[in-house]
Amino acid sequence: MELRKFSIPEIIFGRGSLRYVGRCARRIGAEKVFLVSDPGLEQAGWVDRLTETLEEEKLRWVYFNDVVSNPRDLQIEKGAAVYRRERADVVIALGGGSPMDAAKGIAVVASNGGQIRDYEGANRIQRPLPPMVFIPSTAGSGSDITQFAIITDVRRKVKMSIISRTLVPNISIIDPLVLQTKTRKLIIAAAIDAMSHAIESYVSNIASPFTELLSLQAIGLIVKHLHTAVETRSLDSLEQLSSASTVAGMAFSNAGLGADHALAHSLGGMFDTLHGLVHPVLLPAVMRFNLPECIEKMADIGRVLLGRRLGSSEATALGGIEKFEEFCESLEVGVHLKEIVRDKSELPNLCKMAVNDACLLTNPRKATCEDLLQICEGAW
Amino acid sequence: MKSKPTLDDLIGVEHSKLGYYRELQQKVAEVEISNLELARRQRQIQAILDGITDVMMVLSLNLKIVSVNHVFQDVFRVPEPEGKFCHEVFRSAPQPCSSCPVITSRESNRVCRHLAIYPVDGQNRHFEITASPLRNPDGKPCLILLLMRDVTLEKELQAKYYQSQRMATIGVLAAGVAHEINNPLTAISGFAEGLKRRLPRIEKTIDQELMDDFSEYLGIILKECQRCQEIVQSLLTFGRQTCPESSPVNLNNLVNDTLKLLQNQLKQYRKDLIQVELDESLPPVQGNESQLKQVVLDLLFNALDATQEKGAIILRTSSGNGDWVSFSIEDTGYGIPSEHMDRLFEPFFTTKPVGKGVGIGLSTCYNIVDQHGGEIQVESEEGKGSTFIVKLPRENRNGSLQSNPNPGS
Ligand SMILES: [Fe+2]
Repeated sequence: MELRKFSIPEIIFGRGSLRYVGRCARRIGAEKVFLVSDPGLEQAGWVDRLTETLEEEKLRWVYFNDVVSNPRDLQIEKGAAVYRRERADVVIALGGGSPMDAAKGIAVVASNGGQIRDYEGANRIQRPLPPMVFIPSTAGSGSDITQFAIITDVRRKVKMSIISRTLVPNISIIDPLVLQTKTRKLIIAAAIDAMSHAIESYVSNIASPFTELLSLQAIGLIVKHLHTAVETRSLDSLEQLSSASTVAGMAFSNAGLGADHALAHSLGGMFDTLHGLVHPVLLPAVMRFNLPECIEKMADIGRVLLGRRLGSSEATALGGIEKFEEFCESLEVGVHLKEIVRDKSELPNLCKMAVNDACLLTNPRKATCEDLLQICEGAW
Repeated sequence: MKSKPTLDDLIGVEHSKLGYYRELQQKVAEVEISNLELARRQRQIQAILDGITDVMMVLSLNLKIVSVNHVFQDVFRVPEPEGKFCHEVFRSAPQPCSSCPVITSRESNRVCRHLAIYPVDGQNRHFEITASPLRNPDGKPCLILLLMRDVTLEKELQAKYYQSQRMATIGVLAAGVAHEINNPLTAISGFAEGLKRRLPRIEKTIDQELMDDFSEYLGIILKECQRCQEIVQSLLTFGRQTCPESSPVNLNNLVNDTLKLLQNQLKQYRKDLIQVELDESLPPVQGNESQLKQVVLDLLFNALDATQEKGAIILRTSSGNGDWVSFSIEDTGYGIPSEHMDRLFEPFFTTKPVGKGVGIGLSTCYNIVDQHGGEIQVESEEGKGSTFIVKLPRENRNGSLQSNPNPGS
């Protein structure tokens, strides 16, 4: 096997772990914290709970909440200006993928200067970032674990991938209690995103023994607990989803993703789609496209999804894909691309953009623009 | 266009989460270097400060001593002056002095100079004080730097210089006057002599009573002329830079000879009035014996005049350290009022009643000692007595007068 690398943040996991935020920030040298969150979490009272822990440690902070779903380059640069003006020293993000990615972007621009688009691509960050403590409010994006930040370039309508080991936060504090206040739609979207991370990282061409177990673990947990979590909101099942999202994040941060995420990023950039709702539409088609290159691995996924093996590996793999489709339908989410992209003529542009996405590098089967178009047609 | 990421980029074996460790190390190294540099400069500045020979102190704005240099300790020997008020340390006063250069400097934010006299080891010493404000970045004084230079020696030298200047001027003046008087005086005395010689020729033609008056008057004229001529003679020596014959003189012998000379006059005094303490190992001085004898005589007469019946006069000789041999005469007389000290050696300055002296003695002494390259000092306290000290340079091997400012001119 070729060289592989595995890196993750310090992780504090468990109910009530939010109260450690202040102490963690203090320990990594904070005096004035730059706190990123969003209005929804403010209303739910989580921002206050977090700042109480800062107060306990006598830390000052500056609060930044000008973040939207699919965070934008201008917001990043504005946040970085605030960070520098306020002479903050540690970045804390509380939220889903968007506030966390925004916080990463702000950390990059604040310490390295320039504009966020200067760092698009892999390993372009030259100087250390401020220490980061992230608290995910959804069980999905995995941004609190990964080396990725996805920021929208508004002018080009492109989701930029910024990839660097330096983007791995210092500390991830995962408190399942925070999930309780999320809507049904958000919980489902996040969980399916985590599922797609697990599936794509498992078949990735740089998957390793360190990531494969984690991927399968995440798939199993989500298929087992998502329904209960949505229906009962029981803390036990929400905790399982948090766990699944975290291990999926550990897997895909180190193994990468695939064609599904390449297309999902392009859809997000062009149509501002909610990221989690793209996968029920595209992932089955991508899995079918990839199947010839990784029948055994697809069969592993099928076995976990189905809970058993069918006659052959191919049958198990296909059974798994069908099971995934059924699973999504049972959650009452849209499964057709036409529900997201109203006009079919947009598809070639979409695929032209996706074929350049870094996620396609780790897709197990080489995919051309034409291939991607076929996949989209299949998902229409 | 940026190069597209590769699989190796995603794996990123060579890329790690960047930390501040290396920067920290660099910073630490830089700080160490600049610390060394700072310490070096600190030592350099300290060396410069230590090289300053003036008393240096830093005062807070409320006149408390913040720090002092080593010269302060050498001069004032006040243990741990830091934290004390300057007026406590220098004057033992609870309040700031009335004209305080520190306060002036603090209020005006300018350098202030000042002369002051402080007692040091029981002696009053003159200090030239410079107070300069040390300003904080916005230009306001935050501390006051005080430099104190002991100018006692300069003051003394200056006083001596003025004294000798004045003496020289007066000397020229006196000699000029004496010269002018000398000619008419010679004429008066010459013609009086002529009259005296011719007096017998008219003896038979006038009556005896008138003859006796003429004879007596002429005698008085001639006697007073004689007195005037003596005064004129001694005045003339001021103007002349004479180089009298000089030879090694033993001051002990000089004192003994003088006392022998006065044996008859001294009989009227108590026997133990004059005491003599002579340094047996006294080296000789180079000088003119008869001139020096005159100095001893003049000083002794002054002492006798000043001393009451039950007082005492001590004649001393000593060879102090250095190149000086000294003779002193101490009396327990009525002393010299301080306002007279400055004019003591001026010609015609006298406190004696009219007819008792014309005030030439001390100025002559001054002149003689000065021509010998020596000094006369006076210490006196009114009502308690005076001490006159004559310091003369020790004889050196080639036999000429030492440190004579005008040898033989
Ligand atoms: Fe995702």
